[in-house]
Amino acid sequence: MTPLPARTPPCRRIRLGAVGALGLGLLTLLVLVGTFAPWVAPYDPEETTGAPFEAPSRTHLLGTNDVGQDLLSELIYGVRISLTIGFLAAVMAITIGTLVGVVAGSAGGWVDAALMRAVDIVLVVPFLPLMILLAAYLGPSFWNVILVIGVLVWARPARVIRAQVLSLKSLDFVEAARVLGASPGRILRRHVLPGVLSLSLAQFILAASNAILIEASLSFLGLGDPTAKSWGSTLYYAQVRSAFLSGAWRWWVLPPGLLITTAVLGFAFTGVALEETLNPRLRR
Amino acid sequence: MLWRFLAGKGVQYALVLLFAVTLNFALPRLMPGSPLVFLAGEDTGFMTPAQRAQLYRAFGLDQPLWRQYAFYLANLTRGDLGHSFQQGRPVGEIILGRLGWTVLLVGGSLLLATLLGVVWGTLAAWRRGRPLDLVSLAGAMLFESTPSFWLGMIFIAVFAAGARWFPVFGAMTPGAGLRGVAHGLDVAWHLVLPMATLTLITVPTIFLIMRASLLGVLGEPFITSARAKGVAERRIMFHHALRNALLPVSTVFMLSLGYIVSGATVIETVFSYPGLGRLLFEAVLARDYPVLQGAFFIVTVSVIVANIAADLVYPLIDPRVRRAR
Repeated sequence: MTPLPARTPPCRRIRLGAVGALGLGLLTLLVLVGTFAPWVAPYDPEETTGAPFEAPSRTHLLGTNDVGQDLLSELIYGVRISLTIGFLAAVMAITIGTLVGVVAGSAGGWVDAALMRAVDIVLVVPFLPLMILLAAYLGPSFWNVILVIGVLVWARPARVIRAQVLSLKSLDFVEAARVLGASPGRILRRHVLPGVLSLSLAQFILAASNAILIEASLSFLGLGDPTAKSWGSTLYYAQVRSAFLSGAWRWWVLPPGLLITTAVLGFAFTGVALEETLNPRLRR
Repeated sequence: MLWRFLAGKGVQYALVLLFAVTLNFALPRLMPGSPLVFLAGEDTGFMTPAQRAQLYRAFGLDQPLWRQYAFYLANLTRGDLGHSFQQGRPVGEIILGRLGWTVLLVGGSLLLATLLGVVWGTLAAWRRGRPLDLVSLAGAMLFESTPSFWLGMIFIAVFAAGARWFPVFGAMTPGAGLRGVAHGLDVAWHLVLPMATLTLITVPTIFLIMRASLLGVLGEPFITSARAKGVAERRIMFHHALRNALLPVSTVFMLSLGYIVSGATVIETVFSYPGLGRLLFEAVLARDYPVLQGAFFIVTVSVIVANIAADLVYPLIDPRVRRAR
């Protein structure tokens, strides 16, 4: 962990730490469950192990779905898909976002203006309808979901990182380095990038939380990877089979949603805690 | 200056519009295979080569790209969004029948969420660091992390299918033939659950902005000097701080429109609410590309229109934009 700056008052440090620790704890738990899914899950989620629409029982703790597959196992394996897609989409978004932010912030002039116009366009266009359009054309697949999320989530990080580059550039010691004759490349490498990369990490985690939520929405609309059983697609089938009209919603609808919320919260808590310690604009 | 502010915004929205139009034009033509599949439907695969060639010419696909683009723009300005494969009707006509429901749902939720978010954010900022504030923050983050469609499903299960207080789907009772007040009540009754879901998803965004903005203003020197003068705490809050804190809320309010419309897309799907979002979902299921593109285009235009409306109101609230800038 990055050490906290001495200026932060102690009471605030503890509260931040608690939120961040809670987020990290949730994430660790999910990563462990996902890694050891074959040992944790009672069944193979692809196999028919019971009658269709079974209620929870000793053999199937969360009942079975419309084709007799164990729902609990489905959810446990779903951790892998949600976290992987969230991670990879966030990697893509942050790579684009950091690149755009650093280039815009250090180049200035018309390059900056043009890039920020692009950011504004992406921020104004309603993102889910755009994603639905793109996903419908590209066709549902694992990599397409990541691509669609990645190319639409980079705008906010780009803006935050550009602001960071600009504020770092105006600091006295950077000014001093410039006066002493340091080349723009050296200033970028030695003074600007270190401050940017730590912020990128916080933005990465926030983007991952966003990506998990979006993946769930896309899968729920039937636009996710059709071969993978993510939490969103479990809810898609629950919706198609009208699980919420019978008592089945308690074991078919409730658990996947709680898991999505847990994963998103885990990332969001960690990200917000990191951002508040790393981003000088948010520090009070 | 006011005009420069509006001109800058105008350029930005024109670019967004250009982006949406160009994307709609490019997607069918960029995809592998014949663009006919996306423009005229999958039935074209079963046609004779002669029929296909004729259709190819009818859509102008034998023309150079720039002429196709000019043709496409000309059609758009005449309100021609193409024909639905599935329903055989003009896309514009289908969308027009759906737009009102989305405006009702999104507009209603937006007003309600803004009101609740501003009041709640003010209370939390006032009691900063106290239990009310901390519980509110945790609650806001929780609801921001909840998938909106899932919340809608739970609401249906509990309040519609379970308690039978509200209808399970739709925007009005089919075939009831109600008129006047009875019709209005029926529509309102169907609106309650979808609107509650969308409002609950939106309130945290407004709350977080409002709280942060108010805390920022409360740290400014003019608040300190008002305190030093002995102005009552309540008066500082409502006369000095709140007015200034509302400005950023109106800006971010605009930026979050795209987010709210996105939420409406999935919520309409869950409640089978006949708006544009549900139309998008139906078009995906039917692989009805012209409808998909048309709905995306109109949603984008609506967001831009709402943004322009907010931009025109902004100088009225903030005199600084009106005078110097």
